[in-house]
Amino acid sequence: MQRLIEGPALVMGDNVNTDVLHPSRFFSLDDAKVREGFLQATSNLQDVGHTDLSGKIILAGDNFGCGSSRETGARVFLLAGIKAVVARSIARIFGRNVRNLGLPAFECPDLPERLESGTIVTIDWDRWTLELSSHPGALALKPQDPFWKAVVAEGGLMPFLGFKDEVPHAAGQ
Amino acid sequence: MAACERPFKLPRGEPVKQQTLVEKILLRKVDEPIVKGSEYFRVPVDLVLGHDATIALLVERFRKTGRHVWDPSRCFFAADHFAPPSTPERADILTRYLSFMKEEGIPQDLLYRGISHQLMIEDKRCRPGMVICGADSHTVMAGGVGAFAMGLGSTDIMAVLLTGQAILPVPPSIKITFTGELPPWLFGKDLALEIIRQIGEGGAVDQVLEYHDLANLPMDSRFTVSNMSVEAGATAGIFVPDETLNDYLLQRDGGEPEDTAWLRPDPGAAYARDITIDVGRIKPLVALPGGMSRIIPAGEADHQRVDQVFIGSCAGGRIEDLAVAARVLRGKRVAPGVRLVVTPASQAIFEECLRNGIFAALAEAGAMITNSSCGACGGIDKGLIGAGEVCVSTSNRNFRGRMGSPDGLIYLASPFTAAAAAVAGAVVDPREVFGDEDFGTFHENPWPVSANAIGGAACSD
Ligand code: SF4
Repeated sequence: MQRLIEGPALVMGDNVNTDVLHPSRFFSLDDAKVREGFLQATSNLQDVGHTDLSGKIILAGDNFGCGSSRETGARVFLLAGIKAVVARSIARIFGRNVRNLGLPAFECPDLPERLESGTIVTIDWDRWTLELSSHPGALALKPQDPFWKAVVAEGGLMPFLGFKDEVPHAAGQ
Repeated sequence: MAACERPFKLPRGEPVKQQTLVEKILLRKVDEPIVKGSEYFRVPVDLVLGHDATIALLVERFRKTGRHVWDPSRCFFAADHFAPPSTPERADILTRYLSFMKEEGIPQDLLYRGISHQLMIEDKRCRPGMVICGADSHTVMAGGVGAFAMGLGSTDIMAVLLTGQAILPVPPSIKITFTGELPPWLFGKDLALEIIRQIGEGGAVDQVLEYHDLANLPMDSRFTVSNMSVEAGATAGIFVPDETLNDYLLQRDGGEPEDTAWLRPDPGAAYARDITIDVGRIKPLVALPGGMSRIIPAGEADHQRVDQVFIGSCAGGRIEDLAVAARVLRGKRVAPGVRLVVTPASQAIFEECLRNGIFAALAEAGAMITNSSCGACGGIDKGLIGAGEVCVSTSNRNFRGRMGSPDGLIYLASPFTAAAAAVAGAVVDPREVFGDEDFGTFHENPWPVSANAIGGAACSD
């Protein structure tokens, strides 16, 4: 597994819940419809939701992904090609859901207030640090339980447990 | 359920001698960490809650594993989100779920009987001290009967269905003690909002809320408090088993009282926080639209006009909720132009309301009553709101777009405050609408209800 994860940021606020990240009317078994719902009730990001987001790293505030357990709300991050999630803190179910699908998600309690989308983010998850092209120095990531690193390294919970699974991908990847 | 023989050691510390409630439940069940140095363990699961929406998501993936459900008799599967379905796509989702249940031999007795979480706490299978995982965040409500109950996403639930185990840490707890005397106009919803007001929307992430009830709350209100624990981010919200719970279980199941002494937390147990709430000092509260960050007294909401009132959901569609609504609305009319949608939390409650006159009182006042399902709460059907519309809801979430248009506004309130809003056509302190009338019987007989819960022989006329 790669030690460094790098990509441009997509910035979001505090308490961004699953209903705004992915409104329930896009709940579907059809991945194309699920993908369409990305960010469709997130303030100022509706249009962004429909653009090509592959390779982006989410930077968000406190309690990211709070609310529903509907896994479409996590699956859509993979369908959109998001590379990693970093937030000041992450709601429990959401954090489990994305990691269970093989998407790394980190908590960075010192993430600065003012951030701009497009900033280049570099995550080093051996050293548990995060660097931002807009800020000097490195920020500390909250070290994660070794279980989650093992799950993400295996590509998700199912492969970790030795079961066959198909992890969703962004269209065209 | 064999107890763990040797003294238990967390990987980074001493054996936990003085245990919280969740430690009592989990520590006896866990063994080696899942990977070296981890604080996550395989925990055997007693019941798995599922419903049509989130289980359908895993059906194809599950089939591809070529395996079967570890123990179908432990699957507690309802049909509540798309019950009945309102679009052909939802009918297909439901069909896929139902065929999965048949293939796996999962009991079908709960289908179309109401909202999964309410069915859980009405059912003999759900017992204090159990470990319950559910494919829905409000699974936490079973904490009202002293179970460790948590919501999980579809992949986690798939793992539980395959292995019978969930992979969990033993979370720290926040102790919340209710003291004082519950005023007749105060409900579980007000208490849940007060807790979130104090600790914040994410104030209990990765922690358990452990409730000590010295205020004698009715069970229906306790369930609402447990239900909304997840709105503070909590992993679970568990009431310490007591006499009130024992009475409830006896009424529900008959037989002998359950031995719950082993679930009493030790006096020296370590808590992340210790909060006391005097229930006699709280006013009726509302959560302003868009999340839980702004919770204020209902009387300070500027008489916001309303277009719809929704009384329903797993958080606010129990007998206690419907009885107080009937009590408020009996002999009155819903304000002109306001839609009042009533959706009981289970069909058992629906049938009870038919028998005891609650429905007659509500219908005569102008309410639209639906079968038990998630309905308007999840923005699914029967009671969605449009752009610019304002809804007062007894449900648990007021996120932007939750009940329809992202430009609709949702106020969360107790059933009393919601019913008062239906009469006043505005968000008000419910005590204003009710004037000097007697509040006395609101909390009586939450289970099973008797006719006098809505005021004597009320609705035979
Ligand atoms: S009633 Fe609402 S909160 Fe409860 S399970 Fe249904 S959608 Fe979820």
